[in-house]
Amino acid sequence: MIRQLPLLILLALPLLLGDGYHLRFAAEVLIMATAVISLDLLIGYGGLVSLGHAAIFGTAAYAAALTAIRFGANLPLVLAAGVIAATVIAGLMALLARRSSGLFFLILTLVGGQIVWEVAFHWRDLTGAADGLRGIPPLTLDLGITSLPLASSPALYLVAAIICLAGLSLARSFVDAPIGRALVGTREQPLRMEALGYDIGRIRLRTMLAAGVIAGLAGSIYPFVNQYVGPNAVHWTLSAAMIIMAVLGGVGTLYGGLIGAVVYMTIQTYLSSYTDRWQLIIGAIFVGTVILMPHGIMPVIGSLARRLGWRNPEADHGA
Amino acid sequence: MKLDTIGVTPFTISRRGILAGGSALALASAIGAPRIARAAEPLRIGLVTSLSGTFTSLGESMRAGLQLLLAEAGNEMGGRAVELIVEDDQGKPDEGVRKVRKLLSQDKVDIICGVISAAVALAIRDVVTEAQVPTFISNASANALAREAASPLVFRPTKTSWMLGSTGARWVHDRIAKSGGMTLGADYAAGREYIGDFVSTFQELGGSVDEQLWTPLGTTDFAPLLTNVAAAGPEFVYAFFPGADGVRFLQQMRDFQLTDRVKLIGPGALFDQEDVIPAAGDAALGGVNTFQQSPDAPNARAFVEAYGRARGGRLPGEASTAGYVTGQVIKAAVDAVAGDVADKERFKRAILDQPVETAMGRMAFDPRNNQAILDIFVNEVKKDAEGRPFNTVVHIYEGVRDPGPQA
Amino acid sequence: MAYYLIQALNAVSLSVLLMLLALGLSLMLSLMNFINLAHGSFYLLGSYVAIFWLAAGLPWYLALPAAFLAAALAGLILDRYPLGLFYQRTHLMQVLLTYGLSVMFADLMRWGFGAEIMSLPMPDALRGVVFILGLPFPLYRLYVIGVGIVLAFGLWYLVERTLWGAAMRACVSDRRMVETLGIDTRRIFTVAMVVAGGLGGLAGALGGGLLSAYPGLDEEVLLLALLVVVVGGLGNMTGTVLSAILTGFITTFARIFLPEFANVISLGAVAAILLIRPDGLFAHKARRV
Repeated sequence: MIRQLPLLILLALPLLLGDGYHLRFAAEVLIMATAVISLDLLIGYGGLVSLGHAAIFGTAAYAAALTAIRFGANLPLVLAAGVIAATVIAGLMALLARRSSGLFFLILTLVGGQIVWEVAFHWRDLTGAADGLRGIPPLTLDLGITSLPLASSPALYLVAAIICLAGLSLARSFVDAPIGRALVGTREQPLRMEALGYDIGRIRLRTMLAAGVIAGLAGSIYPFVNQYVGPNAVHWTLSAAMIIMAVLGGVGTLYGGLIGAVVYMTIQTYLSSYTDRWQLIIGAIFVGTVILMPHGIMPVIGSLARRLGWRNPEADHGA
Repeated sequence: MKLDTIGVTPFTISRRGILAGGSALALASAIGAPRIARAAEPLRIGLVTSLSGTFTSLGESMRAGLQLLLAEAGNEMGGRAVELIVEDDQGKPDEGVRKVRKLLSQDKVDIICGVISAAVALAIRDVVTEAQVPTFISNASANALAREAASPLVFRPTKTSWMLGSTGARWVHDRIAKSGGMTLGADYAAGREYIGDFVSTFQELGGSVDEQLWTPLGTTDFAPLLTNVAAAGPEFVYAFFPGADGVRFLQQMRDFQLTDRVKLIGPGALFDQEDVIPAAGDAALGGVNTFQQSPDAPNARAFVEAYGRARGGRLPGEASTAGYVTGQVIKAAVDAVAGDVADKERFKRAILDQPVETAMGRMAFDPRNNQAILDIFVNEVKKDAEGRPFNTVVHIYEGVRDPGPQA
Repeated sequence: MAYYLIQALNAVSLSVLLMLLALGLSLMLSLMNFINLAHGSFYLLGSYVAIFWLAAGLPWYLALPAAFLAAALAGLILDRYPLGLFYQRTHLMQVLLTYGLSVMFADLMRWGFGAEIMSLPMPDALRGVVFILGLPFPLYRLYVIGVGIVLAFGLWYLVERTLWGAAMRACVSDRRMVETLGIDTRRIFTVAMVVAGGLGGLAGALGGGLLSAYPGLDEEVLLLALLVVVVGGLGNMTGTVLSAILTGFITTFARIFLPEFANVISLGAVAAILLIRPDGLFAHKARRV
């Protein structure tokens, strides 16, 4: 529990500080962070760099938005729709890329993701095509007797924070479970794992499904932050941005996703108000991280914390 | 606001400007800009434009156009100093929404304007409607904004896709062919709108198009398509491809020597004076387009000259004219209410009551959907006195009004 | 008949363009086992150099060497730092580094050259069409096909028939052994990077006449090149050439028969090929265990 304390403080802090606009942005950061955490399962633990992760995340967003428009924006319903949709796409992608690794995995997930994008971009009746989906009703929570509106910034932030924590603990338990260790094994010594009788394809499928569930949770509430979802949410450039976030924060540390999302999105939204060259800055920071801090920012913070006397009982499983 | 825009003097003082001024950004002629003493509260205008991503060149032009207008107006509207805050939507709707929220809650802008991309415009529509902030969509031409997505305080001082598609059909029917021909389009929202509207108006006039061909957005190689055109030998081709696709299309049409053999008509964006013609060059000659803007338009002379001086001899296209015109419309309305934009109903009536003389001609607004009623120019690209390809007005369709909500 | 012939020629010109895009990338992969996602940036640089060269009125036949040199120089500098550090690292790290670099280069080029679309000022000697059986076919495309074939042949000769090429190939098989023979492998890698970068720039100079130049093109080109290389199989330049031909033809004829679904068909074809042959179509059979 001590380990979670700083995280809990971090998550509760903005509620005290921020106003509507900043809090809403923080909610968006948390949503993205959750998606990046799920990506970290693939990259950090599985050694599988996926350029199709946005397709999983974005499909959940579309599913949630469509469900909300047709059946009302009840939180459990919306979450269910998003998670199911994301898991289906994740499963398909896993089947597509069963036998591939490295560059091939990258390309196959890219191709898979772009096929999803083509559908989102062209199917006007379902997805609104390039214009996206608008008129999404505000999020609520139906408790049978009464209905809690969740559209305000603090409420959205709270929902996002809970989902982020849920995603984090789901990911953590996946990693700690036997399948998580097997996953790392398939990354390190694929031939040996096969020789030992493990089915690499099956392990990958399960990992993708787990990542799909977590990304699906995040994607489901994404449309309610900006009251809009469009094809950009499934485009490979968002996948690339997620990879940048994962690397910045620290691949293989799970928590790193949070830090990476904060850094990237803050630069993208805040720095772009001050300079046209924000992409150069992000690129430079990213390159700097890859060259100088290849394990990301998280381990640097971790070692600082250790120096300050913070005990870390669990060893890092990561890259 | 960034102070590194090339050539155009940024007169506005903003908090961002004070921060940025600390760094060595003495590039532009910001030196010598008078510091306006603030007597009354400044009027805050938020410009949402694309300064990175696909629409960067258009976004920069729009910003330049608006800044030119502000400079000419002495940075003052209705007796109040103007504070312009420019935000980059990066061509992405999500980012557009974020920036609009920021402009509303952090910068507390009184008016929002700009927006290049239709997707961004549609995404922010709900946010600005809920916040009840007067919004001027300067460039996005999605039909929906004049129909089902119209909003009481969202004004559009530019055309709808329908206006261009249907006038194109009228022109073709009157001057080129009563029936036949081909359409070629990029398969995405705007392409479908322009060509769809062209075809339906053409059909209303009694004609019918022989063949409709589509290619995906971002097509690099039009050769298969153009070989089809060469083989079919149509009377005319109505085409639309945006940005770089359009440039490539025009060039490849010339490569295949179809420019002389086939009459090419399209919405003005295919022959944009600033965005397409400099790159396409002579490949654009002979093309006909219908557009709400023309560098040859009678009302635009002064603006064209001023813009050329501000931006190194360039001729303005749609985006820069849109920025300038938006400024003109806002100024006219703010002047009419003597700077009091807090009374939104009165502000709205000021816009609807009196047509404004703009660089696009006389602009009135349709009270049903706040959509501008415009003169649509038929431009033909001919060589001007200096031998440059130039959109020359050959006809004007006056007072074109979008069918609106019941369409 | 003439129609299909012309469409086939269109497919060939697209194939040659794809081949040129992909060859630099493939060279680095097969000779240096290095993934360079900044390849698109070399291409775009070459395009801009050619455009400015021709706009300045300099002799058009020197535009290609100029672009080659400019991009090769960029490759040389990058080889020094930071790419050289990553030759021995995992593919993942190379992907991350070069992608980050490509983001930086894209913004630098946008800053330097502006956001507007720029076209290649076509030299008079290359304008015009040839009429083949009554249908027009642009001269410039024939030029591209011609230069492309010569280049591919030259590259093949360099790699397969010269000592340099032999040394490079040996480096990939067994670097240590090559070093014991007294050859500086680091120098060989530098040469390979310079050549590959130059190839990218050359492709840009040629492609500029077809695709123009604008920010964002580097990403589009990179994607195409990656798809072609991966479908062809890694570490295999012949595979890249064959894959380029295949992709060019599939894309062109998809555009003719099912234009609205052309993209989906191309993507689907790539996915299908990689499903059936996960290592690419023409990959070397790797030893299993």
